[in-house]
Amino acid sequence: MFLAQSSVDVTSIAWSSFAPELVVVCAALVLLLLAVAGRYRLAVAAACGLPAIGAGVWLVASGHVLPGAVAVTLGAAAPALVVAFPGRPSLTQSWGSGLTLFAALLLTFWQYAEVLAPTGGLIAPTEALQGAIANDGIGFFTRITVYLSALLVVPIGYGYLRDRQIGRAEVEPLLLLSVAGMAFLGVANDLITLFISLEVLSMALYILTGLARRDRRSQESSLKYFVTGSVASAILLYGMALLYTATGALDLAGIGSGLGLVTSPPVVGVLGLGLVTVGIGFKVALAPFHLWTPDVYQGAPTNVTAFMAAAVKAAGFAALLRLYLVAFPTLSSLWVPALSVMAAISMLYGAWVAIVQRDIKRMLAYSSITHAGYATIGVVSNSDAGLSSTLWYLLTYAVATLGAFGCVVAIERVRQGEVSLVDLRGMGRTSPMLAGIFTLCLLSLAGVPATAGFIGKLTIFQAGVAAGHTWLVVIGVVSSVIAAFFYLRIAGTMFLDEADETRGLPLVTTGLSAGVSVAATLVLFLGIQPQLLLQLAENAAAVVR
Amino acid sequence: MAFGPITLTLALPLLGALVLAFVADDPRVVRIVGLVASVATFVASLIIFVDFDVSNPALQLEERMSWVPAIGADFALAVDGVSLALILLTTFLVPLILLASFDSVTTSLKGYVAAFLALETAVIGVFAATDLLLFAVFFEFTLVPMYFIIGIWGGANRRYAAVKFFLYTTLGGLLMLVAILYLFSQTGSFDYEAIRALELGTTEQHWLFAAFLLAFAIKVPIFPVHTWLPDAHTEAPTGGSVFLAAVLLKMGTFGLLRYALPLFPDATVAWAPWLLGIAVIGILYGSLVALMQSDIKRLIAYSSVAHMGFVVLGTFALNATATTASVVQMINHGLSTGALFLLIGFLYERRHTRQIAAFGGLAKRVPVMAGLWLLVSMSSLALPGLNGFVGEFPILLGTFQTAPWAGVLAAFGAVLAALYLLWAYQRMFHGPLVGADNEHTTDLKLREIGVLAPIVVLIVAIGLYPKPLFDLVEPSVERVLTEVGVDAPAAEPAAAQTDQ
Repeated sequence: MFLAQSSVDVTSIAWSSFAPELVVVCAALVLLLLAVAGRYRLAVAAACGLPAIGAGVWLVASGHVLPGAVAVTLGAAAPALVVAFPGRPSLTQSWGSGLTLFAALLLTFWQYAEVLAPTGGLIAPTEALQGAIANDGIGFFTRITVYLSALLVVPIGYGYLRDRQIGRAEVEPLLLLSVAGMAFLGVANDLITLFISLEVLSMALYILTGLARRDRRSQESSLKYFVTGSVASAILLYGMALLYTATGALDLAGIGSGLGLVTSPPVVGVLGLGLVTVGIGFKVALAPFHLWTPDVYQGAPTNVTAFMAAAVKAAGFAALLRLYLVAFPTLSSLWVPALSVMAAISMLYGAWVAIVQRDIKRMLAYSSITHAGYATIGVVSNSDAGLSSTLWYLLTYAVATLGAFGCVVAIERVRQGEVSLVDLRGMGRTSPMLAGIFTLCLLSLAGVPATAGFIGKLTIFQAGVAAGHTWLVVIGVVSSVIAAFFYLRIAGTMFLDEADETRGLPLVTTGLSAGVSVAATLVLFLGIQPQLLLQLAENAAAVVR
Repeated sequence: MAFGPITLTLALPLLGALVLAFVADDPRVVRIVGLVASVATFVASLIIFVDFDVSNPALQLEERMSWVPAIGADFALAVDGVSLALILLTTFLVPLILLASFDSVTTSLKGYVAAFLALETAVIGVFAATDLLLFAVFFEFTLVPMYFIIGIWGGANRRYAAVKFFLYTTLGGLLMLVAILYLFSQTGSFDYEAIRALELGTTEQHWLFAAFLLAFAIKVPIFPVHTWLPDAHTEAPTGGSVFLAAVLLKMGTFGLLRYALPLFPDATVAWAPWLLGIAVIGILYGSLVALMQSDIKRLIAYSSVAHMGFVVLGTFALNATATTASVVQMINHGLSTGALFLLIGFLYERRHTRQIAAFGGLAKRVPVMAGLWLLVSMSSLALPGLNGFVGEFPILLGTFQTAPWAGVLAAFGAVLAALYLLWAYQRMFHGPLVGADNEHTTDLKLREIGVLAPIVVLIVAIGLYPKPLFDLVEPSVERVLTEVGVDAPAAEPAAAQTDQ
């Protein structure tokens, strides 16, 4: 199909529909080049920056002001950052990736205004690149979540990586590549794009989880994630092959209409559906495919764990939503009950097992399984409300979990190792600000009013009740109460217990405090005045079908 | 109206809490900010009272702002007689609670005062919200400051009590949220009046009523979901106990009256006999267990279970006499039990024990405290002439009309109340003065008397002339009963006419 079009007209490519990813991937390459350029850093930066500035000027001249300005700024930033931090390449990397991710966020909103919803209000979904990607709400909102998560992870991780002497050059390029993969997963409209995006993001994460070369747990985490992730990918690929066999289509809408035809062999299609569910269920850590999560989350460097919890989940659910709503609507009588049971198990099992954990990262890992369960309620609602509530829920979960892991980073930096519950004793007295932010994020994860998490749970439950899944929502309530117990136990250990003076104060540096403060502010803002972004999530309930 | 006295009353405590976040951690500054904010809140609530039309049974003085249109939730506040009475009780007590706590709270006074002010905002929100989602938000949010008040400033076993309190109430609150979401899915609105106008099938009503009932029953607390209360009360600091007893428990009975009854009338009528039975069990059980307590604070905590049983009894007796009196009794219980917890707190500061056996003959050393204690106990056990009587007696009277058996059994509870309160008083304040500790206990200071005086004045005033309070709550209660389908009694045709 692609080969038939022997020559591609450059101007016919819908650049705007993947502009943020383009910027992120280019920046990843530039940062990688800078990392290996040695004393030619400035020359490399200038050589990379100049074409970007040129392209930017051309864009501005042809009327695309914002993307042009972004290109010019980033192009100028490359040499400027090299000059600004002469002896400290890691600062150049962090600032560079931070700027890039901020630019990607800006471009996401520009895209919303220019391409997705030019008249304002609801998104008008279109296809781009011969149907390979979809310009629609799932992609839009997923971009917000993953770019925001990555943007917060960069400052949170900066000092932590330096302390643990974790190799610097590869971190930011891998982070950017991974986040680009996530964004593409959010817009992937056929099986090939979907699989490639998933692999791009996974490959980068396999390496990122193993970044701490001298830490055996990090190595274990990386290997475990790689082996189990590869198996999951293989299962997913097999499922895709079966779907192609059943329908003869690779694009999701084609699969959807193919499965709707009585002539197609349903057994093969259903098998494909099952295997794809396993593969994606693994990526989003939905029980019973969650077993890797605690070990990987605990062993990986904490900033990477935060990124995985917040962003991989959002991207995985984007793929899940698109697959089920576009490719499998006719099989909903099969997957709705199946996913409902998976959601119920995830919510109860995650909360239950988290109670007995002593290690904070492990506890948050089990909590992430619980939250995957909640988000699934929106998927099985199989409605516009369900779709937008899942997207919204993942954003609220992302900001809260990033803030929480950010606080763990601060504590871990002085502990030089695992952070367990007793390490937090009396933190409310010794470092009240950090303990306050941690508590706020935990209350958000618990779904207490005036935090983002409450509005998240509310919309999810609203969609679930409206779709008639009241029993699932009640299970969600029970699990929330169980989960509130261990979130409160962390908060209680910080505020209710006496301080242990021997343990040393958490180390909060500028970047970290900026990261967690922004996360905490967002938790409050989305909890008290959610209208702005919630409306965007509602507008995002538009899918290419 | 978008902004008015109700929003002001709601915002002032929160504003005070925010100001506290930015001032120095100097006790003097904190005291001033706390008092100014809470007194200003009281004044603002009086403005609501002045604007309020007592003869109108409907929700009044509505203030509505758009909040989250994306999910159909408004920031909508309004009051009727019942909620106004409870708001006034809240704003009246908070300055006194703060005043009483300034000396006893030694660690982080700033956090304590800020938590109380945040709590006050949340509670006023619960009483004033007419958007069901907003109501649920405030209802849930009250848990957070109270968790920290019990957990940080509480007694030895405070962590257990705080977590138990949180988990019990959050379970009820979240199930109620699910019920609210179901109602939203039926009407497309969280607005109280819109949901009230909704006609629900009988099965739906039963399920939804059960969800609301569980949330409120835990809060009241109704037997057998009361077990968090003795722990929370005993471990909470004095201010926390006072607020818990006086205001937080009322959120439950208020919720029953505002939501459970009028929204699900068929279910209410069907469940009423069972709830009368449970209320009677609660009264007798609470009284008997109170009788057996050796810790005076725990005794009063169990007496709360019994007294709130009377309120639930009156509510589900479903006639104008009893149900109106049950609202009056909410206020009375807030005043008398609040005063008792204050007195216990003052005594504890002097003696650092709450064991009844440790005291004896104190009346000779602390005559003022003993006198006030006796007066407040008398109010709590419903001595005619004090406020408890004007609430409890009509509850029994009304219950006799609809369910004589429940009235007879509940009357035993009233007798038991006299027994446990007076017996405790006798053991602590009368008899021989033994031991150096008892010998050296000092009487109330002027500031402490000043804290108690306004409450005592109200206790006597309501006891002697309860009419204004009845006039305030009666029309709203009758509106609820009309909704449930219980005819207003023939004895009060005049009240029915003035409604029109």
